[in-house]
Amino acid sequence: MILTGPAIAAQVKTGAIQIAPYDEQRIQPNSYDFHLGERIGWYTNKVLDCARENPFEEHAIPSEGMVLEPDRIYLASTREKIGSDFYVPIIRARSSIARLGLFVHCTADLIDIGSFGQLTLQLHAVQRVRIYPGLLVGQVTFWVPHGEIVLYEGKYQGSEGPRPSLVHRDFEAR
Amino acid sequence: MILTGPAIHESVEAGQITIAPFDADLLNPNSYNYRLGRTLRQIISDPTDPTRPAETAVIELPDEGYVLRPGIVYLGATVETVGGDEYVTSLIGRSSLGRLGMFLQISADLGNLGSAHQWTLEIKVVQPLRVYPNMKVGQVSFWKPTGARMPYGGLYGGISEPTACSPRAAAGLGAGPVRQEAAA
Repeated sequence: MILTGPAIAAQVKTGAIQIAPYDEQRIQPNSYDFHLGERIGWYTNKVLDCARENPFEEHAIPSEGMVLEPDRIYLASTREKIGSDFYVPIIRARSSIARLGLFVHCTADLIDIGSFGQLTLQLHAVQRVRIYPGLLVGQVTFWVPHGEIVLYEGKYQGSEGPRPSLVHRDFEAR
Repeated sequence: MILTGPAIHESVEAGQITIAPFDADLLNPNSYNYRLGRTLRQIISDPTDPTRPAETAVIELPDEGYVLRPGIVYLGATVETVGGDEYVTSLIGRSSLGRLGMFLQISADLGNLGSAHQWTLEIKVVQPLRVYPNMKVGQVSFWKPTGARMPYGGLYGGISEPTACSPRAAAGLGAGPVRQEAAA
């Protein structure tokens, strides 16, 4: 079951859902609209490698905007810190953004219950597109879980700003 | 409702969910991590055509990894057999791979009740990316349905190797003869 907008608003009031900063104007019939944060980053190598740390640089998104190119993966984040110990968040693009051909995640829409922070967005532009800091880019939905809840305590907990992939740690652990 | 990690674990032990092989260390708070099988198929046909069998080339991923290129659709498969009659499966990529610009499906995340197989992954990358066999690449989640059940009659849900678009399945035809077509 998916929470309606009024149910999301009610759960924010009880603290069961955390969205900060929170603005009731951003409540939708069954989701909450989030903003793009102020920072963006990209990998400096063209060829990436899952087994190695990929050098990454981070910049402010200029207020006059910046153009995303189709051949590069960009990481940004939500301006809001989002999470819940009681509901499962799922993120997606707003349709206005999708209509421009901009993906806000690369098939990773499911957030672990118990994770909290600025969510890293995986920006992929099908055509060149200009983005701006604070743009309303996506929506977060909240879903009712079934079963005993064990909270997330993974490597991206408490994220602020874009966080590059840590998948190489899987290989170092071998 | 989406199953939590502990609920997935219980359902696997009760036989309501198939995940094989199963490793409790791969459970997440509300999903299970699946791994990338060694065999990929690259689609060669250009343009592709849902009314004709696609020409594909097999890639066996070496242990030292293989660089996927942008602009190509690669079909992979999960190492694990995943599915069941009780809960609806949804398949996505891990955020650690999304952060490297890797898609694990192409807007087709929803499984069918009643199927259990090694899922075909539709893989694309934004930048060249070196991937490795058996690495943890994605997550499956399980959802409680409402309503009466019907038997699964599709084609792909019985096939456990990376499988290209079947013209008969694309046309909405049933599974019986198609399985033979796929095996041929």
